[in-house]
Amino acid sequence: MKKLKGLSPLFWFGVAYLVLLVVFAIVGPWFRHPYDVGVAKPFLKPSALYWLGTDEIGRDIFARIAYGARTSLTIGLVVQSIAVTIGIIVGIVSVYSPKWISIPVQRFTDGMFAFPDLLLAIMIVGIFQMGIGPVIIGLSFTAWPPMARLIKNQVATLKDREFVIAARAMGAKTPYLVVKHILPHLWGVIFAVMMVDVAATILAESTLSFLGIGIQPPEPSWGQMIAVGNTNKNSEPLMLLWPCIALSLTIFALNFVGDGLRAIVDPKKNQAI
Amino acid sequence: MTEAQTNPADSTGRARFWNYARPVLLRLLYGLVSLIFITLITFIADEIAPGDAATIRAGDKATAAQVQALRVEMGLTRPWPIRYVEFIGNAARLDFGYSTQGPRRPIKEALLRALPVTMSIAVISISIAAIFGVLLGMMAAIRENKLTDRLVLSVSTLGVTIPNYVLLPILVLIFSPIYLDWLPTSYEIPERQVAPGIFYIIIPVIVLSLRPMATLTRLMRASMVDTLKQEFVRLAVAKGVSTRRLNWSHCFRNALIPVLTAMGTSFGYLLTGSFVVESAYLIPGIGKTAIEAITQRDTPMILATTTVTGFLFIAVNLIVDIMLPLIDPRIRESQI
Repeated sequence: MKKLKGLSPLFWFGVAYLVLLVVFAIVGPWFRHPYDVGVAKPFLKPSALYWLGTDEIGRDIFARIAYGARTSLTIGLVVQSIAVTIGIIVGIVSVYSPKWISIPVQRFTDGMFAFPDLLLAIMIVGIFQMGIGPVIIGLSFTAWPPMARLIKNQVATLKDREFVIAARAMGAKTPYLVVKHILPHLWGVIFAVMMVDVAATILAESTLSFLGIGIQPPEPSWGQMIAVGNTNKNSEPLMLLWPCIALSLTIFALNFVGDGLRAIVDPKKNQAI
Repeated sequence: MTEAQTNPADSTGRARFWNYARPVLLRLLYGLVSLIFITLITFIADEIAPGDAATIRAGDKATAAQVQALRVEMGLTRPWPIRYVEFIGNAARLDFGYSTQGPRRPIKEALLRALPVTMSIAVISISIAAIFGVLLGMMAAIRENKLTDRLVLSVSTLGVTIPNYVLLPILVLIFSPIYLDWLPTSYEIPERQVAPGIFYIIIPVIVLSLRPMATLTRLMRASMVDTLKQEFVRLAVAKGVSTRRLNWSHCFRNALIPVLTAMGTSFGYLLTGSFVVESAYLIPGIGKTAIEAITQRDTPMILATTTVTGFLFIAVNLIVDIMLPLIDPRIRESQI
């Protein structure tokens, strides 16, 4: 608890915002207007009934933003869970398995870095013709290598620590060692990095949707709302602004929280890079 | 390659050359393998996905027989591994075949038209990002924890996190005729403008350079802060070296090395960023071509743009790898 006091107000802002966002993502689409049908005239200004106004075909922008939050957060979490799972497997395999397995695995992971990740995602999603499933596949494909490298480095340092060597000397088998002695030390770091990576995934998802090859209408997503706002920006600048604000604040919040968590987990690395 | 390993102490010209060339060749090999890997994935994904180029080309009203005829004509009936090997062979000769959309023109022509546009904007952006990033980073590091430092850090955090598709429309809106009326709202209006003036690339360059600039600033700051804490700096101060000379001739080159490596990666981000910026600002470059190809399911074009973008990325990283030992003698010596 002592560690929590040193955290910046930005961290707490991030936590507060994320809690709000999750609440809105869960209940917002229920208690506001339905997201996919026009409920009023198009291009209404914000009012008590339509908190952020209505869009080009008269849908409530607030409901769409809330639903977009649900989409973005779900995709971010699912993709990162896949990335962490693959990352743990690859990370542990490349430290603990015999050379003829670990070296190809490491080379393959390195190779994945030799290519711009978003480009790969664009291609995969583009060819599978869009929608949530392909977006998740495409983004998972590019999200795991950094996670795998991080976990591999962590495992490699932990492997030579005294308590691991002691456990080994007492006859612990590798699977037991990994589950009982190594993984418990990793969750903190993984969780902190995951926060920042969820932000990156949400950004990537919005990029795809902005380009028109991600989430397809009428399913709302922030990227797509920004794209629509972009075409109407001359007459309705507010329509562009709302999803931009929602997206930017989410990214900031996730980064602040991730940095704060990393500072708690690993005080030495509390440096801006 | 083996000479260097068997005789690490051997300092003949040949061993030295291998010390220098080995990492570069390895990187080249990685690059080529990943390029093949990426195109293979794109190729397989296209096979698995429902429909193919022929169904798209034929349109909704075509009968099954018409589609099949088109498939035969386009050479899609042969198994995909054969077509893939063929694609690699042709790509090596820069022959990407024909686009399945619109008039039958070689893809090579379209690429040759699009590539200079993308490249010139990318090169200008990365240059601006590098110059300002390095300078700002140094400034922040020298004034560590002072107001300047904090300001630079917070602005660069913004720069890293704000996505370009948020920044671009907002900038366009601010500079559009509605508010300031300073800059054009999109890149090209071919009838009115033959050669786009400098004004047409200001917004894309700002948007594209911001993120790499922020990344490089933060890296340069961290690296310079580290360098300033090293022993040799204290020695130089004790010797009475002036601050300016200390910063520029003692620390600058040392601090630059990690930043240079990051420049290669930043360039990659810039290339993917140009997909967004080109689509939104209507710049007829590789990115816009690629996105159009994806929405039209124009497979040869998708493959061609992927290959070219990937190749650019690998080439830039290779150049960085070649430059590094030239700047840092320690890397030159330690590469065994």
